[in-house]
Amino acid sequence: MEEELIGIKNSAISLILESSDLKNLEEIKLQFLGRSGKLTLAIKNISKLPIEKRPEIGVLANEVKNTIEQTIQDKEKELKEGKLKTKKEKIDVTNPGIKPPLGHLHLITQAIEEITEIFEKIGFTRLRYPEVEWDWYAFTSLNFPPNHPARDDWETFFVDAPESKKYGKMLLTPHTSSGQVREMQKRIIPIKMLNIAKCYRRQSDISHTPVFHQFEGLVISDDISIVNLKGTLDYFVKSYFGEKRVSRIRPYHFQFTEPSFEVDVSCGVCDGRGCKLCKEGWLELGGAGMVHPNVLKAGGIDSKKYTGFAFGWGVERVLMMKEGIEIDDLRILYSNKLEFLNQF
Amino acid sequence: MNIKIIDSHLREYLKTPATANEIKDILSLTSVSVEKLEKVEKDYIYDIEVTTNRVDLMSVLGIAKEAQTSLTQFGKAARFIKPIFKKPKEEQIEKISIKNDPKLVNRVCAVVLSVNVKDSPLFIKERLERSGIRSLNNLIDITNYVMREIGHPAHVFDFQRITTKTIVIRESSKGEKIKTLDGKEYVLPGGDIVADDGEGNIIDLLGIMGLENSVVTKNSKRILFFIDNNNPHKIRKTSMELGIRSEAAVLNEKGVDPEKAYDALLKGIELYEKYADGKVISPIYDIYPNKIAEKKIDVSEEKISKVLGIKIPEAEIKNILTKLGFGVLKKGNELEVIVPTSRVEDVEIEEDIIEEVARIYGYHKLPSILPKVELVKSSPFTNQFFWEERVKNSLKYWGFTETYTYSMVSADLFEGDIKDAVKIGNPLNEDLVFMRRTIVPSLLKVLHENKGNEEVKIFELANTYHKRLNNLPEETMTLAGVFKKSDASFYEAKGIIEQLLNDLGIKSIFKKPQKASVGSSVYIDKQSLRSSELKSYIGEIEVLDNNIIDFELNFEEILKHAALKKTYKPIAKHPPIVEDLSFIVDINVQTQDIIEEIRKQSTLITDVYLLDEFENSRTFHVIYQDPDKNLTNEEVSKIRKKIIKSLKEKFNTELKN
Repeated sequence: MEEELIGIKNSAISLILESSDLKNLEEIKLQFLGRSGKLTLAIKNISKLPIEKRPEIGVLANEVKNTIEQTIQDKEKELKEGKLKTKKEKIDVTNPGIKPPLGHLHLITQAIEEITEIFEKIGFTRLRYPEVEWDWYAFTSLNFPPNHPARDDWETFFVDAPESKKYGKMLLTPHTSSGQVREMQKRIIPIKMLNIAKCYRRQSDISHTPVFHQFEGLVISDDISIVNLKGTLDYFVKSYFGEKRVSRIRPYHFQFTEPSFEVDVSCGVCDGRGCKLCKEGWLELGGAGMVHPNVLKAGGIDSKKYTGFAFGWGVERVLMMKEGIEIDDLRILYSNKLEFLNQF
Repeated sequence: MNIKIIDSHLREYLKTPATANEIKDILSLTSVSVEKLEKVEKDYIYDIEVTTNRVDLMSVLGIAKEAQTSLTQFGKAARFIKPIFKKPKEEQIEKISIKNDPKLVNRVCAVVLSVNVKDSPLFIKERLERSGIRSLNNLIDITNYVMREIGHPAHVFDFQRITTKTIVIRESSKGEKIKTLDGKEYVLPGGDIVADDGEGNIIDLLGIMGLENSVVTKNSKRILFFIDNNNPHKIRKTSMELGIRSEAAVLNEKGVDPEKAYDALLKGIELYEKYADGKVISPIYDIYPNKIAEKKIDVSEEKISKVLGIKIPEAEIKNILTKLGFGVLKKGNELEVIVPTSRVEDVEIEEDIIEEVARIYGYHKLPSILPKVELVKSSPFTNQFFWEERVKNSLKYWGFTETYTYSMVSADLFEGDIKDAVKIGNPLNEDLVFMRRTIVPSLLKVLHENKGNEEVKIFELANTYHKRLNNLPEETMTLAGVFKKSDASFYEAKGIIEQLLNDLGIKSIFKKPQKASVGSSVYIDKQSLRSSELKSYIGEIEVLDNNIIDFELNFEEILKHAALKKTYKPIAKHPPIVEDLSFIVDINVQTQDIIEEIRKQSTLITDVYLLDEFENSRTFHVIYQDPDKNLTNEEVSKIRKKIIKSLKEKFNTELKN
């Protein structure tokens, strides 16, 4: 019996030590310590021994059991650690990761989202108006005289449709300003609207595309002045272009504003010192002005009581004026070349 | 419009210690934008952008006068030297008969001179060339020099070539032919302002360009120096239609002050006398039917402060306006402002006067203050832009790239009956004629243009345009996508749309296609919305071939149902029992019908979905759960038997194994 137990111990230990994986080790464990394992059976047989021999053999059996268990435990630990070690060695960190899909939003969408966020923070509400419009909303109500060049066939797209007696020709909006009077006609003052939309002009060259985007702000209340326009404009310029950039307004001329301004932003490339890309240190952002009283009247708003300002700037233009995006031909934005789109 | 002004020329009429750089900066801030300042030898060239309403600044004199006001406002000494033109002695050696039409021409000033053709003096040559005008000979150069200095276009004829000694100003008839002095031939559109020699021969295209048959040559001895102030609308129409964009046309179409015409004539005579041995040999003609009426505008100090946002003292207002050439009278609480003739076209209302005051006062001196917060209106958080952004972002994170294609398409890309198209009357080219009714064709074109790429996923969210009778077209926000890869799966497209809508809180239903030959129609399931309709159609998935699948959905309809609302259901206390049941099913039986049939069998079935499909066998994953207790095997077994029985009866299915 004694020899048998020693034999079990030796064969178990040698098997355990030779074992090379956890599954095999589990099998060995069952083989010796399982319900019908060799050691288990041997221990059962102790009861068949003469009573005086039992304590001695019992102690030995216990010792054998402990030793086997301890050895299995040690081996188990060794194998687990070893497994980790080999796994580490197998990772090549320079191999490609398994990436979740990631597409791209168009640069114009990204700019629109940014512009919207900036203006919403100071209380503007984004709204939308027709892209195919009547002449009256695009021109007449905005104080354009009947012979104004913007109405020429080579400037604006006209729709082949019967003229409206009341509103004139049907056209594709050449600017977001056509939303101004539509908003005023809702007769809810104060107005603080932001209109970002597709615009259409009959032109195509390196700095023009027949379809483009503008964003328009319109604020009307009883005490709106140039000072507020400057405040809004400064806020946008610093938020969108960065704290370092400064803006200025200077006299300009538009039909639907009086006074009218051209808004400039200091050049980000030369910091306003003057370079090839800018005009004496300034880049033109776009137009702005105080809403012309004739426009307020067209919108049914008392021009004696209320004043307002408006601005309308090109989304593509502000995009190009941002540092890091120096596109030499605007038309690439609408080329839909994946090689271009997937860069952003 | 841009004009180049030479610093030395400007300083003949503007005495100031200000440097060219200072003049540039101050003009830009208060008047017109000096886009470039270029140094040439000892001189400077200002490249100035003049807005269309300020044609009075398209000249050396105009800029000099304006600069005086702006510079002094900035504390710089500056004085405008007003030119004095002497009227020369008239002669009766030659005469010309000029018959004007006041509907076409506001004023004609003319004189005949005897001259000698030669090169212009160096300063004229240099100033012209530097401001972008080609120097030819003294006779022509002087007309250009006068235009640049005074701001009124001028013309010179070879008097001896007008053999009739007659000029009749009339409208052209359609189809009349002319040859301009640069040798180009044109057919007139009709209604153009022309000068006729009295015998039907056109000898000048007034206000735009001279003609070859009357132009001065190196043999000219007698000239007719001619200043015509024309109807600006007529000039623009002719100039644009013929494509002749001469500097004279660009000025004349904006409406030049007729008061300047006479100054231009006298300045020209002075120069011909000096640099062309000129002698006046005729009377001086001045035909001036359309004199400018005086214009007065009332303006209040209160209104000025309201628009500017700060108070400017009355004395300062008066001072600024007076310097700009306006007359100012105190009239009760208001100021009566008299507009100078050079500005009557441009200055019409109180706000125009306010602009004059504000710009000279200096916009840069005004503070920057955001409008008051109380102007903020409440608006829902989940407006249409919120959902648009959400959908775009979902697609982006599923690997789609967003495109921006044009709203107008060619006839080839237009889907539907072309009679229903919103058509552009004056398209830029044949690719941009019809406002699109669908977006997928544009996306397929993009796919074609990027055919080097084996796997492409693109989408666009944009308006489509639907013609309506006697109304503007309906603009419908539409979501379209295309993907291409080898063995593209319909189920991938379906899955994208299902998840996109799930994220918007919308359940979708897919039915056999309405339009596409292979694909599916997509509906919004409205059952849960207690709507009278059970479902609403939103678009199609279309399987084009093994590799290309597209979809197009009505986003407006989706918007109507999009919501962030979620309902909380208590988390189950008792574990579910889950099992997979495989059936042999006929290929024509739709999975959705089987799922619905299974669900009907017991309220304890909380979910069923297709796990796997192989040949004619489909495996369904069935989840049983009782919220109140643990389910036993016996209970589940009963339900299972019901399922097997009902499916066999309804669809003749057999349970596998």
